[in-house]
Amino acid sequence: MEKLNITLYRFDPSCDDKPRMQGYDIESDGPLSVLQAIRHVYHKVDGTLSFRNSDCRRGVCGICSMMINGRRQLTCMCLATDGMTVEPPPNRTIVKDLVFETD
Amino acid sequence: MSDGRVDRTIETDVLVIGGGGGGLRAAVAAHDAGARVLVLSKGIVGKSGLTQTAVTGFQVAFGYADPRDNPEVHYGDTIRGGYGLADPELARIFCDEAIAAVEDIESFGARFDREEDGKLIQRKLDSSQTYPRSIKKGDSLGTPIMQALRREMNKREVPRMHEMLVTKLLKDGDRVCGAIALDFQKGEIVEIHAGAIIMATGGAGELFPVHSNTPDSTGDGYALALNAGADLVDIEFLLMLGHAVLHPATVRGVLFTFQYLLTKGAKPLFNSEGESFLSNYDPEGNDNPARHIYARAVYGEVREGRGSPHGGAFFDPGSVSHETLMDSLPSQTKYLEKFGVDMTQPIEVGAAAHYVCGGIKINTQSQSTVPGLFAVGECSGGPHGAGRIGGNSLTEILVFGKRAGAEAAAFANAGNTGSPSSDEVASEASRVTSYLSRERTGPRPNVIKTHLQKLMNDYVGVVRNDEGLRETITEFERIEREDLPTMSMAEDNRIGNYDWIEALEVTAMIRFARAMAGAALLRTESRGAHYREDYPELDDKNWLQNIVIHHSANQDALAFETRECTPGPEYTASLAEAG
Repeated sequence: MEKLNITLYRFDPSCDDKPRMQGYDIESDGPLSVLQAIRHVYHKVDGTLSFRNSDCRRGVCGICSMMINGRRQLTCMCLATDGMTVEPPPNRTIVKDLVFETD
Repeated sequence: MSDGRVDRTIETDVLVIGGGGGGLRAAVAAHDAGARVLVLSKGIVGKSGLTQTAVTGFQVAFGYADPRDNPEVHYGDTIRGGYGLADPELARIFCDEAIAAVEDIESFGARFDREEDGKLIQRKLDSSQTYPRSIKKGDSLGTPIMQALRREMNKREVPRMHEMLVTKLLKDGDRVCGAIALDFQKGEIVEIHAGAIIMATGGAGELFPVHSNTPDSTGDGYALALNAGADLVDIEFLLMLGHAVLHPATVRGVLFTFQYLLTKGAKPLFNSEGESFLSNYDPEGNDNPARHIYARAVYGEVREGRGSPHGGAFFDPGSVSHETLMDSLPSQTKYLEKFGVDMTQPIEVGAAAHYVCGGIKINTQSQSTVPGLFAVGECSGGPHGAGRIGGNSLTEILVFGKRAGAEAAAFANAGNTGSPSSDEVASEASRVTSYLSRERTGPRPNVIKTHLQKLMNDYVGVVRNDEGLRETITEFERIEREDLPTMSMAEDNRIGNYDWIEALEVTAMIRFARAMAGAALLRTESRGAHYREDYPELDDKNWLQNIVIHHSANQDALAFETRECTPGPEYTASLAEAG
């Protein structure tokens, strides 16, 4: 069993004044990609988290790109690590949480 | 609050549902035929769907690698690969128009690998191809196709809407006239009026816990079409592959296509006792059998207690060198290595759901049995029958995408566009918004989905039998009766609420799962991608028949009908016995 604490960006423009970072403890049977960790939070910990689920999950489509520990990367192609933070890319209009407007 | 209000209404001539390769090809063709087109996707149009992930090749009988190859030979391979159940007319069109379809996509700027003499490289993927026929682009064939189609979409400025889940097709009398969709980003209910609709919604891998598809492959298109009164055909033929990586979980379900690189006599898989076993499961004793045999063989070893720790078998790295992998499958190899898979050590591989061979029954115009409703790609049914040979799906989306687009435009341009009844619209808007006002007492959608996936894996997957299928269907009916009405979401926010999307998806998934299990129960034989342990033999005497499914008058009941299929001389029982 692996235990991780990850911090995700939360912001609901319809009711929040400003974004906040929320920490989550997750437990899994083995290593997770960052994308899987986000899904894990949504399924097992906090169903109010907004995220996108129409990705290719193998580094082709690029829509899962986020800032991971401040660096823009594909969440499907990176391992989730203890203490990591995940935020939308800068200068994007936020729909809610990890969902931002696309080009 | 649950109400019958629609937030926006949009009009178009041709509505394309699905933003993958089939959808874009159809959209471009419909535009070029003079129609106003709108493309909707659950994901991002042009970046959703499976086409972009295509790896190995697509079949086009140019005859460059072997001059004996031609569309006639390709047709024979397709009919045999479909175990006699492919619609001969559709398979014929498919093979005859493949060359022109590739020339079209090349004229859009897609480039594929060529020999030094400038001719396209053609490879033989496996024994289902009589001659080398597969076109490739490195190990990322989907990329140039999607890039070219996105470019053509942009050039024509074809309107598109991202992250729209269609929840119902609207009808006026017999014909379709529009759709209701939920806009994920805005949380709005959108009514779309359209003269014709093209379904390009892909497959249903997400019905299973391990699959090679994208996570949004929930089979919505099949359920939408069924609910609109269209026929489905051949959906019991779910292609399970046996060469997906099972461990680590980070890459579970990703296909590892080593079988195309094996030299003669190589034995790629072994069980927990170190024995190779594939040939034991192949009627012809091949060490590298047809791809659907892989899943059955691995399943058999697991059941006999000789499986790997995560329910599969081991790939023997001695059968394909690391150098060959890096040379022929660089993207796959680098991806797996990035997640810690040591490609020089045994790798756990096993079954993953890959492709629904049947789907929305189409005619030669790519039109369903409902006037104005067209279908292309994996969601359609007819060209493949009981099995789809490797490399035929990309060819299919190019051929039938072009057809569906042109035909749908002609249908819409012929006028007499229908209009939906306001009662039907209001009733669907109420159904969709009703999730927002439910008591939060029932299971969340993903809980029901996980339960569904386990049932599908255990009873409707690689190996099926009467008892398991009956119990599963009873349980699906119970879920529809008891769980779906109480299913509730984590919050009632309208914007970016994925639980809302998933609740609607799960409802469609159960409907399609019940149809698939019902057809699998009815087919008391084993053929192609469908294997019944209680009827393990191919039965041409009784089962050269397609199973067609539609809604009976009672909207909750599905009607199953069998229809004679006449495959013609290309189908020979001796070749089909491999199933």
